Amino acid sequence: MLKSIITSLSRRLSTCLMIGLVGLSAGFAQAQEKSVKETIAAATVATTSDEQRELVLTLKLKPTPEAVTWLEKWKAGEIFLHDDGNGVITPVTLTGAEGQDGSFATLKLIDGTPYLAADGKPIVINPKEVEAAETDSGLRRAMKEVSDLVALADPDLAKRLRAIKDSAIGQKLEKLPALQQLRATEKDPDAIHALDESIAIIQLRSTVPAERIAACKKIAEIHSLTAYDTVKTILAEAEKAQDKPMIAAAGEALRSIEGHISRINAVGTAFRGLSLGSVLLVVAIGLAITFGLMGVINMAHGEFIAVGAYTTYVIQNFFADGLKLSPFGVSMSIPGLHLAGGANTYFVFALPASFLIAALVGIALERSVIQFLYKRPLESLLATWGVSLVMQQVLKFIFGSNNVQVSSPAWLSGSWTVNDVLFGWNRVFVIGFAVLIIVITWLVLNKTSLGLLIRAVMQNRNMAACMGVRTERVNTMTFAFGCGLAGLAGAFLSQMANVGPSMGQLYIVDSFMTVVVGGVGNILGTVISALGIGMSDQTFQQYLGNPVLGKILVLGAIILFLQWRPAGLFVTRSRSLD
Amino acid sequence: MNNQPFSSRVHLPILIVSAIVLLVVVPVLHGTGVISDYTLGNWGKYLCYGILAISIDLLWGYTGLLCLGQALFFTLGGYMMGMYLVRMAGGTELPTFLTMVGRTEWPSFFLPFSSFPFAVLMMVLVPGLLAYVFGFLAFRSRIKGVYFSILTQALTYGAALLFFRNELLMGGNNGFTNFDTMLGFSLRDVSTKRGLYIATAILLVAVVTLCKWLTGSRFGLIQRAIRDSENRVLFSGYATANFKLFVFVISAIIASFAGALFVPQVGIINPSEMETSKSLEAVVWVALGGRGTIVGPVLGAVSVNALKSWASTGATADFWPLILGASFVLVVLFMPKGIFGIPGQIRGLMAWLERRKQREEPSPPSRKPDNSPTPAAIDP
Repeated sequence: MLKSIITSLSRRLSTCLMIGLVGLSAGFAQAQEKSVKETIAAATVATTSDEQRELVLTLKLKPTPEAVTWLEKWKAGEIFLHDDGNGVITPVTLTGAEGQDGSFATLKLIDGTPYLAADGKPIVINPKEVEAAETDSGLRRAMKEVSDLVALADPDLAKRLRAIKDSAIGQKLEKLPALQQLRATEKDPDAIHALDESIAIIQLRSTVPAERIAACKKIAEIHSLTAYDTVKTILAEAEKAQDKPMIAAAGEALRSIEGHISRINAVGTAFRGLSLGSVLLVVAIGLAITFGLMGVINMAHGEFIAVGAYTTYVIQNFFADGLKLSPFGVSMSIPGLHLAGGANTYFVFALPASFLIAALVGIALERSVIQFLYKRPLESLLATWGVSLVMQQVLKFIFGSNNVQVSSPAWLSGSWTVNDVLFGWNRVFVIGFAVLIIVITWLVLNKTSLGLLIRAVMQNRNMAACMGVRTERVNTMTFAFGCGLAGLAGAFLSQMANVGPSMGQLYIVDSFMTVVVGGVGNILGTVISALGIGMSDQTFQQYLGNPVLGKILVLGAIILFLQWRPAGLFVTRSRSLD
Repeated sequence: MNNQPFSSRVHLPILIVSAIVLLVVVPVLHGTGVISDYTLGNWGKYLCYGILAISIDLLWGYTGLLCLGQALFFTLGGYMMGMYLVRMAGGTELPTFLTMVGRTEWPSFFLPFSSFPFAVLMMVLVPGLLAYVFGFLAFRSRIKGVYFSILTQALTYGAALLFFRNELLMGGNNGFTNFDTMLGFSLRDVSTKRGLYIATAILLVAVVTLCKWLTGSRFGLIQRAIRDSENRVLFSGYATANFKLFVFVISAIIASFAGALFVPQVGIINPSEMETSKSLEAVVWVALGGRGTIVGPVLGAVSVNALKSWASTGATADFWPLILGASFVLVVLFMPKGIFGIPGQIRGLMAWLERRKQREEPSPPSRKPDNSPTPAAIDP
């Protein structure tokens, strides 16, 4: 107790001495000429906290990252005040390794040189015994101001943007000059936009009415989302104060922001609808072949999707550390290639692999079951449901009943923001993938000899057989193609949904609805119906704020739609009855 | 194709004997302790499933409409009964599924369910009206075959999504449980359980009788004609849509009653009962038992479920879906008429072998060469 009183007394004394020594007065003009460290060193030993604050605030004139580093050290208690016993206090930092008695060698804060006693011996201090420079809340606020300012000038654009956006919080008028100064020199358009936004938001609190109105106008012009709540408050205050011009300006700004929000929502909904539609399309396109073209009600379609997803899983592990499986009690292991960067490249190989595997399983199914059921569509529904049960169980036996982990390549994560609308990369990828699959399907059906045969057999089986087409083989190939597309869908879904033995069940109803609405036997119909269902699903969801209700409404809408067009969007015209 | 099913040879005496066994012998055996409570409960369940199977068969086997939404009607009936039972349970206290969503009193639509006759009325009206509206829309626009199946599946899927929501105030995914009394009898009493079993058996016998009569009448004839060639019936001047609508509504109500009797016996009702796979499973029973017959589906339902209770416990549990799926594929491929078709298939096979034998013998010159020794008799 006594000791601390003495120290504090002697510090005050010594400070006076120090001030005299360095010839410092609190004048800003002089402070400007001093280095950052000098200022901070002076501040740490200043007598009153007001004085300390003023010194720290002088750093704002020359905001450098160095200042922030030292201020942080100060805050963290890493600057110690060494008293040489004669009342001279020197701010020092510790250096080197810890000595035997817990003491450290020291460096002078002011110039970073070793702190030596008069006899040239280095002075060691024990941090437990020597007082650290302290801070109080006012001082920390001042430090924050400095570091904010430094962040505003950060060369890293992302950090600078965050600092600019943060500066509007609290609407402190004193931050304006710094922002305006930055605005004059800033080159990056994003940063300029953010600066305008922050300046306008702060100016809403300006004491000059004209400036406040101008700020409202600016906000209306750039329809700033951040300003929404603030503008609302301002409008409420203006209404209370009966400030007519302010009410008009704030109301205008609010309407502009609200308009912008609804535009963003509309674009976002459309985008999400497009990507959902693409998912539906990818999932349903295989069914459009097997069900739409061939008339086989393949209830195991979902399981072919799962086969594709699991193939992706196996390929992923094959590229990495390998995989141990124990189907039916037989343990087997797939060796791993341990490829560097395999996590990013495996997917390229997984796509064709899942197509092939699913197509092979499809060939097996067609040869063993489906080929006997072409004339009995309802029974193909039942038999394939049995097949789907068996396939689910087999997948469970091989891979276990839990979901497996499939990681996405790095290039599928992240997003892209344009004008406040968020475009997730994976959604963009979905849309691109759907386009790719449509193009492939179209090419296969219209530009290859297999496609020609498929179309011939589907249009008139007997006539095609008479012309020498081996219809049985075409059936097998068509079915395999449809199943392969389902496998592709699975590879693709493994990137955005859970991969488990019964994952296929989630998509079966949706895929059938998509094909039925599109009109059986028409790929274009499937495309349009998938996009239509995706869009309406997202729109309902947006307006109802509830995904489940949205989905139910879509199902209802589909039933009503089929009242109007019982055979779907595109009808294959025929003179035959049934 | 032979419209008259092979199974028409099931004689009335056999039916009467089975009815007596189900109605009298089993309860008596239970009363004397030969049959355990557990077995009786299981049989009550199987019989409910049997009724559900008949309702599917009435649509699919006789009218050619494969409805994948019968589980929905079954569950709706179950929910109507469930609403009555939760009103009876727990006295004045609110059940947790209501307090959980912040309700402090019964929602108004629950109130009349304290009356049993009202609940029974709703078991008829709710599924009946739903079937009427959906069927009206579907048959009016001549949605048939596979499309009808897919649409009914979608309807069930949508309803399941709805019932899984807590906001519907129907218990969300937990559904209704913790039932206490029914018509003043405690559901825990052995005698109540036996009573429920007998009620189920009576309903089953009644439904079998009703469907036998219906399908044997002129109406049944038109029904089968619609199944085999709807356009011909239409062009003969029959409003096929109305016939189909009538059958659809009737079968929905039958399924609903099956569900209503199912709930007090198993003690719980939740939306997982209306998942799409449940309807398909019920269709399996019908296919396995023999569609286009009245007794076949009941036989299918009972045998599949008995097999399931036996197989889905213990070591074989993992293999149950394999067995079910594989047997289904085999039935569809090789036994299109199910268990009830087996005697007919055997007869067909015998006849075919007979003909082959005859052909191998030197035939009299007057006999025309038999040029149809196809296996069509086996697999029509």
